[in-house]
Amino acid sequence: MFAVQLINGLMEGMMLFLIASGLTLVFGVSRIINFAHGSLYMLGAFLAYQIVPIFADGSLVGFAIAVIAAALIVGLIGIIFEVLVLRRIYHTDELMQLIITIALVFIIRDVVRMIWGANSVTVQMPDAFIGALIVGDNYFPIFPFMIFGAGLLVVMIMIGVIQFTRAGILLRAATDDRGMIALLGINEKLVFTSVFGVGSFLAAFAGGLQSPFGDVNYLMDETVIVGAFIVCVIGGLGNLYGALAAAMLVGVMNALGVLYFPRLAMVMTFLIMAAVLIFRSLGRQGGGAR
Amino acid sequence: MNSMKSDMKKKSEIDFRIVALGAAVALLVIFAGGAGMSLLATEILIMALFASSLNLLMSYGHMVSFGHAAYFGLGAYGFTLAIVRADIPVGLAVFAGPIVAMIGGLIFGALCVRLTEIYFAMLTLACGQITFTVLFQWYDFTGGDTGITDFMTPRFGLSEQYFAVFTLTIVILCLMFMWRVIHSPLGLAIRSVGQDRYRAEASGLNPRQLQLIAFTISAFLAGIAGTLFAVFHGNAFPDYAGLGFTLDSLIMVVLGGMKSFAGGIYGAIAYTLLKTYVPLVIQEWELVVGLILLFIVLATPFGLAGGIKRLQTMLGMGGKP
Repeated sequence: MFAVQLINGLMEGMMLFLIASGLTLVFGVSRIINFAHGSLYMLGAFLAYQIVPIFADGSLVGFAIAVIAAALIVGLIGIIFEVLVLRRIYHTDELMQLIITIALVFIIRDVVRMIWGANSVTVQMPDAFIGALIVGDNYFPIFPFMIFGAGLLVVMIMIGVIQFTRAGILLRAATDDRGMIALLGINEKLVFTSVFGVGSFLAAFAGGLQSPFGDVNYLMDETVIVGAFIVCVIGGLGNLYGALAAAMLVGVMNALGVLYFPRLAMVMTFLIMAAVLIFRSLGRQGGGAR
Repeated sequence: MNSMKSDMKKKSEIDFRIVALGAAVALLVIFAGGAGMSLLATEILIMALFASSLNLLMSYGHMVSFGHAAYFGLGAYGFTLAIVRADIPVGLAVFAGPIVAMIGGLIFGALCVRLTEIYFAMLTLACGQITFTVLFQWYDFTGGDTGITDFMTPRFGLSEQYFAVFTLTIVILCLMFMWRVIHSPLGLAIRSVGQDRYRAEASGLNPRQLQLIAFTISAFLAGIAGTLFAVFHGNAFPDYAGLGFTLDSLIMVVLGGMKSFAGGIYGAIAYTLLKTYVPLVIQEWELVVGLILLFIVLATPFGLAGGIKRLQTMLGMGGKP
């Protein structure tokens, strides 16, 4: 039982990381806490619901194309939002930035409800995802493994991009000191816009990937955003590798917590989040003083 | 209202003409509008107190709480649990709510004031979610997600109109108390920490202690609002401490206008009216609220009270103190 929950926890952790990675990237560069990240995730799930039937009749490739297409659309929406709205408020109070993204939460929620209705929808699972692995006496559904694999792929691509490409260098520079890259003659606006687009893409990608694995409805944004906040804060806001470690920690702890002390499981993560905030984050960004 | 920033400095006395005007308008709405209007007015009044308590933190202490509903919920639960679990009579239990909220504010506040800016907001979010989760999961004590119902006659058995007057009295008293706090020497110290904590510290003030005091007072006032809300509906649910109510309070303050004493009040009026009347016209009231928020932040980040006044005249409603 322990082993089963441990593996489930790692799977959940990977999912959490996929969600939180976009949030932490955006915060690292533009110092914006995007409350609408969960809404973009939800949008990705609903778009996947819309697109999957076009490509896929249960094939894996079709599903992948659909999810990526959905994520690209949401990424585009993110870019448009950044250019039209966020760009005007980078200089203002942090609170105002938060309020703007909260406004986006409200807008997306109602638009989703207008288009797809208030009922839950289900996304068809590709055939390759159905079934279970049997190890000893334990059944492991295949689907979480697929998510884990996809997550791993994303992590590897991310690390590759961040470490070895010019875009990655710019990203790291912008996270370290965004004033400096402007002084170096790099188009700061372009960096901000593209990072927000990538963040939106990642949120929607996670949403699309997760969509066959449960109900998709217009209320999922809130749970998703709270989970993503926890991971980002524990990992150190803006710290990608910290987020990866934190996501695994939270995922495993949730899974084991359900097994051993089900009542405390939910509170535990928040307690850890609070403790990390008070005694500094795992990552380097987590200073208490401004 | 005349309680703008400019005359805040020169005028620390409560202007009873404004209080009387607000009370008169509220009473007019309550007695001319009948039972339905009284219920709406009560809701607005409670929300006005709740939003004002957050406004105290945000506008004067420069602390953005992302878990303010925790104290609203603690107020509601402190009151209901005192009746249900401790068999305290209703008349005494109403004091339990604000006190529990205040203690909660003191404990969480002591942790939160160690941080600033976005990290402060994140920690208040965590504290709020801890409160919500405990209320949600501790079935034996708090009744879990089914909440606590049927423990008293809602509104003490008063008619809609008399309860609205009762709420009005309490809310006016609380707001006058808040006004006095803000304009006392203590309030001045809190405001100076809010504006520049380093300079305040350099001039001999203790920022953390002052922030904690502001946090506790704010939690106390939110607890009164929560208790009133529990009395009003005769129930308590974990949602009262949830993210939904937190976001509501934040939106109300921003809608009403920061840096203005009346901001929370205007915001509560505008938000509750939007919530009540927009769905009668179109279903997507959240979309409307979102667009209005977007517009307000982009167009006039701070001086909103005037804009809200225009909105009110458009909707044909008056203001409250």
